[in-house]
Amino acid sequence: MSTDIWVWIAAILTLGIFSFLYKDNPFYRFCEHLFVGITNGYAITFYWHRILVPSLIKPVSQGEKLYLLIFAFIGALYFTRFIPRLSWLVRIPIAFVLGYGAGAAIPRTIETSIIEQAKATILQRSNFLNLFDAISSIIIFFGVIATIIYFFFSTERKGILKHLAYSGIIFIMLGFGASFGYTVMARISLLIGRLTFLLRDWLGIIK
Amino acid sequence: MKVRFPLILCLLMGIIGMVAYYIPHRIVQNFDNELRNTALRIIFAFSLVLGVGSIIRHHWEKIKRKREFWEYSYVTLISLFLTAFIGLFGGIDGKGLIKMQIGKFSFDIHTIYVNMAIPLGATMFSLLAYFMASAAYRAFRARNFEAILLLIAAFIVMLASVPPVARLIPKLPYISEWILDVPNTAAKRGMLFGITLGVLSTSLKILLGIERGWLGGK
Amino acid sequence: MVSRRIIYLILTLVILIPLLRPFKLKPLPMKPVENLFYYINNMPKDKALLISVDYSPDTEAELHPMTIALLKHAFYKRIKVGVLTLTLLGLGLAEDALRTVVKEFNERAKTREDSIIYGRDYVFLGWQTPPLVPLLGMGESITKVFPVDYYGNRTDTLPLLQQIKNYRDVGIVVSISGSAIPMWYVTYAQTTFGVKVGAGFTAVSAADYYPYLNSGQLTGLLAGMRGGAEYEELVEKHFGKTKRRKATEAMSSQTTAHIMIIILIIIGNIIYFKQRRRK
Repeated sequence: MSTDIWVWIAAILTLGIFSFLYKDNPFYRFCEHLFVGITNGYAITFYWHRILVPSLIKPVSQGEKLYLLIFAFIGALYFTRFIPRLSWLVRIPIAFVLGYGAGAAIPRTIETSIIEQAKATILQRSNFLNLFDAISSIIIFFGVIATIIYFFFSTERKGILKHLAYSGIIFIMLGFGASFGYTVMARISLLIGRLTFLLRDWLGIIK
Repeated sequence: MKVRFPLILCLLMGIIGMVAYYIPHRIVQNFDNELRNTALRIIFAFSLVLGVGSIIRHHWEKIKRKREFWEYSYVTLISLFLTAFIGLFGGIDGKGLIKMQIGKFSFDIHTIYVNMAIPLGATMFSLLAYFMASAAYRAFRARNFEAILLLIAAFIVMLASVPPVARLIPKLPYISEWILDVPNTAAKRGMLFGITLGVLSTSLKILLGIERGWLGGK
Repeated sequence: MVSRRIIYLILTLVILIPLLRPFKLKPLPMKPVENLFYYINNMPKDKALLISVDYSPDTEAELHPMTIALLKHAFYKRIKVGVLTLTLLGLGLAEDALRTVVKEFNERAKTREDSIIYGRDYVFLGWQTPPLVPLLGMGESITKVFPVDYYGNRTDTLPLLQQIKNYRDVGIVVSISGSAIPMWYVTYAQTTFGVKVGAGFTAVSAADYYPYLNSGQLTGLLAGMRGGAEYEELVEKHFGKTKRRKATEAMSSQTTAHIMIIILIIIGNIIYFKQRRRK
């Protein structure tokens, strides 16, 4: 069994969260609230030491790049969110960050998720180098179109559209099935991680 | 002023963000890099105020009005201030302005994170394994052909993911990989096109001032 | 119907027993994992591996083994490594992974040449925000984006960063994440600077990113605990036994738990159809 006080703290907190499985209780609520507090305190630490100090406070205090104070002033407008009369000023820093983010994202997202994805779907000569790849590529091409048609609700589903939409469901179900299978793996992994911690690091039962 | 100025600023910043992608000229690139490394970084850093401020306000109100479970709000507030104090004054390594150590017992920000935040966060999510097991038993019904397909795909992926079964049925991992690689890719790509177009249109609406949710209520 | 708590108890036992008595197993590496491994393995000597630890404690159990396996691979192969994170809560995890792996290698090392030395063999850049700053900024200059590293050293004084200046000197970025962050690297870093991107996803989201693997935008993909175990297997196959294989160790319990879930679904269905017929 561990003699490290920190391992004990970690183990007690782990058991505190697990206690929720029996029912909601004060120990669990304590742990839950503690988590919110610690992670926010952690965030404050790194925003200060690794962003504001090296990028703003150090250069300005050394008399370099005094124009950075303008950005600090714009950033400080976030505080106005908590002053009812001035709260509209918070829109300025938000507009700055949101606008730049959206602008930078638009052309690159088109490239990544539309153009490159469409290119990978279209059948080309290179898809037909062997029989297995050829069949797979045709299935992907057909499946993409069928899935899109399944989500297309602007016209009545008749004739070929009806059949395509139905085959779309088959692809979607296989896709969701694969996701579900993987989700089981994911959730179990997380539990194994915690139980391993308790058995290995805390109790020392397994090596 | 209260509405138009932020909208114009948003559009202007959007154009700046976009232009740098299309113009590889040094002047444009340098301007873009400088803008990101200084203005964007500093302004964004202050946004933490919104997050932390809201949490403090929420819990403070809860204590003031004695709402349900208000006592626990003290836990959040005290741990928040204490952790921030340890981090700000102890520095990243605990050897800053104030040494975060009593005898051999050190309590620097990293130690607190590893031994408190990690177990709490990791265990919270590990509970999902239990809920999922319970749901597997109660909710997944092979009611029709589509549901059977979903379950078959799920079983194949689940069994192929674990080495003993994969060794027992050597073809299984390859079938699983094919499901992921072909029908799954087709379905997810079809959806991806729809989702991406949605994201793009929302981004454009924000830039053009049609979507104004971010301005807040008034 | 069996009560919820009995299912909880059975699941705990199904995971606990194989942890206490694990059975021998050998993961079979699949193509997406092999692609990533061999790409890194065959990278030119002057290129660095950038590992982006983009997960938080909630998915640590699943993703941490990937970071550790990648670090081991790079140190065995003597590939220069830069570690960073785009999520604040990934910082402590990245530090933990580095500390563990560096300690393991340095315990074995006999000379300074053999050792893994900070600044020469690896750097821990830390975290910067908003994510666009590092994602796009590293195309121009890594040291401008990260003026100081995690430990507070000025990055322009570190020898490794005098050679590895920007994405041009990076062979591949591997982003390990419980969310869409690896796709940010594709969207911003790859479209703008052409850098190669590999990904480690939680199993929950892995299936959603196969379209990018199929299109070649992702060089390789590790999915959940299984992906980690397969990567560990490849590292061991090429470089000999390593100290701990966290993902592979978990695979015994993973096996029994998967079988249990399948049995639960089948029993649930049998009961459901029996009741329906009776009605």
